[in-house]
Amino acid sequence: MIYADKSAGIIVAGATGRQGAFHIALMNEYAKMVGGTGVVAGVTPGKGGQVASGVPVYNSIREAMADIDAEVSVIFVPATAAGDSIMESANAGLSLAVTITEHIPVHDTMKAIAFAKLHDCAVIGPNCPGMLSPGEIKLGIMPSHLFSRGNIGVISRSGTLTYEIVDELTKAGLGQSTVVGIGGDPVIGQTFSDVLRRFEEDPQTKAVVLIGEVGGALEEEGARCTDLPVAAYIAGISAPPEKRMGHAGAIIEGGEGDARSKIERLRKMGVPVASRPSEIPGIIKKIL
Amino acid sequence: MKFLEHEAKSVFSDNGIPVPRGFLIHSADELAGNLEQLPPEFVLKAQVDVGGRGKAGGILMADRKNGVENAKALFGKSIKGVAVKEILAEERLEIQREYYASIAVDRSTKEALILFTEEGGVDIEILARERPSAIRRASIPLLMTEIPPFMLRDLLGEAPREAGRVLQSLYTAFCRKDAVLAEINPLVTTPAGLFAADAKLIVDDNALRRQGISCNRDMTDREREAERHGFSYVELEGNIGVIGNGAGLTMATLDLISFFKGKAANFLDVGGGADQERVMHAVRLVAGVPSVKVIIVNLLGGITRCDEVARGIIAAGISQEVIVRLAGTNEEEGRSLLNERGYRMLDSMEEAVRAAVEAVR
Repeated sequence: MIYADKSAGIIVAGATGRQGAFHIALMNEYAKMVGGTGVVAGVTPGKGGQVASGVPVYNSIREAMADIDAEVSVIFVPATAAGDSIMESANAGLSLAVTITEHIPVHDTMKAIAFAKLHDCAVIGPNCPGMLSPGEIKLGIMPSHLFSRGNIGVISRSGTLTYEIVDELTKAGLGQSTVVGIGGDPVIGQTFSDVLRRFEEDPQTKAVVLIGEVGGALEEEGARCTDLPVAAYIAGISAPPEKRMGHAGAIIEGGEGDARSKIERLRKMGVPVASRPSEIPGIIKKIL
Repeated sequence: MKFLEHEAKSVFSDNGIPVPRGFLIHSADELAGNLEQLPPEFVLKAQVDVGGRGKAGGILMADRKNGVENAKALFGKSIKGVAVKEILAEERLEIQREYYASIAVDRSTKEALILFTEEGGVDIEILARERPSAIRRASIPLLMTEIPPFMLRDLLGEAPREAGRVLQSLYTAFCRKDAVLAEINPLVTTPAGLFAADAKLIVDDNALRRQGISCNRDMTDREREAERHGFSYVELEGNIGVIGNGAGLTMATLDLISFFKGKAANFLDVGGGADQERVMHAVRLVAGVPSVKVIIVNLLGGITRCDEVARGIIAAGISQEVIVRLAGTNEEEGRSLLNERGYRMLDSMEEAVRAAVEAVR
């Protein structure tokens, strides 16, 4: 388990929206099951005093923090205000801002991440499904029924593809320590390297699955900096250059970050790369 | 979205970067009526978004005698498959020296990366590969409102001080326009001073609205239609239509198709909340691509309701075969709905992809 344990109080920013309210309920259902604190407050400017899925709503994180104890935020606010919400979380002293929102302008993301760093606040996302440590805490929108507790860490740029691979792991009897969706945008807060560093300090995690995509070189950077046994899957081997494959990050720019050369670089570092998601459990069993 | 040269130059000029005198024309006649506004010798530059435009014949030298004729010839051409509809007619510069300057979003530092080299006018990618030390780099957090003096000194080396002002203005333009790339290649010195001889600007697609841009020109009509429904859509060259939820899963579906030696016709990510209506639109959109012989629908999600998805597929009422992989709630109901209508629903993504590849063989 990394980033947060079950005792962490959660603030949901964008609590009164359809998505926010819906996922407050699911996160609290999970917290109840594992005996965790769960979501203690929602925040939506101008809607203070309302209640969202049984949780009190405040106008600002600062206002909420006067009443309750919280360590992390999960952000569902619309794209144009999400950068602001990350900065508000950091400024209020939260240690983690999990940003689910997609389509945030990249300059907003860059500014918010730089600001959060000044306040020692880690940002997961944006454009991500959040994270889940089975039996401990769920921050975000991952479907918890596919997960099981164990020793495998998972770091992924995707959402549903993560669920696919977690499902394969669970069916193969390989439980997970923490599964982190780091997000599909070109600029994200916590990268493969950052999460891997946390996994190295986590006694529960014995091996890590990296689920990458075309674009950039974050997967290789991560694999280079860790001593943990790592297996990888890279999506987008059939992606044409200069075309954005859904995720803004999944684009091959100027010949950089195409899947074939990414896979080759990883293999050269000694990282086994699966050619199909279904091969992951077999590889993990071998390297454990 | 990529800006054309003349659009990028006008943005740069608004931010204080000197650009050559010139104007945009839409026909050779338009040039004939305005010849006196240009110096005796000038250039005609096709406004098409293709790489290697000069080598492909998109840039012609001209003077007052042959200008109209050359413009006529250029308007009749297509450059690497793109028809010339606009030409930038511009003064010819007396180039003494060429530099390269750019500012781009850097994924790994999460900051803006400024590049400058005194060896401009060459292919920057080749220079970066062969002599990386010739390119000076600086990383600047976007919290900074301007480039600090030490950074400018480090970047410029022996280049004239005016180049520092250009870099400063380029940074301002980069920030104001939500750019992912702002590039001047080449930045040239002439007896009349420093000029941006060419200009490139790419604006973040997620910031188009606040930049006042309503329509993304980089998209095809079908991609735009897909966007209206909230789908991410890319057209490819095969015959297997692909619909998935989530970019990674959809990409992995495409990869599996090519693993089993099939060819995908498209990438379509329906996004979150795949309900009946959205699935129907997605299926119809993909079925409308003439080359599509079979469609694979691969949807996985905790909250996806399989019966809703099944109803969407049935409501689309298309002629092609649809192979479905669904995992979520109400799976059994979805399966029996689909089976009743003769659609195949399979349990794993690999089985479904294999079935789709076999169906087109």
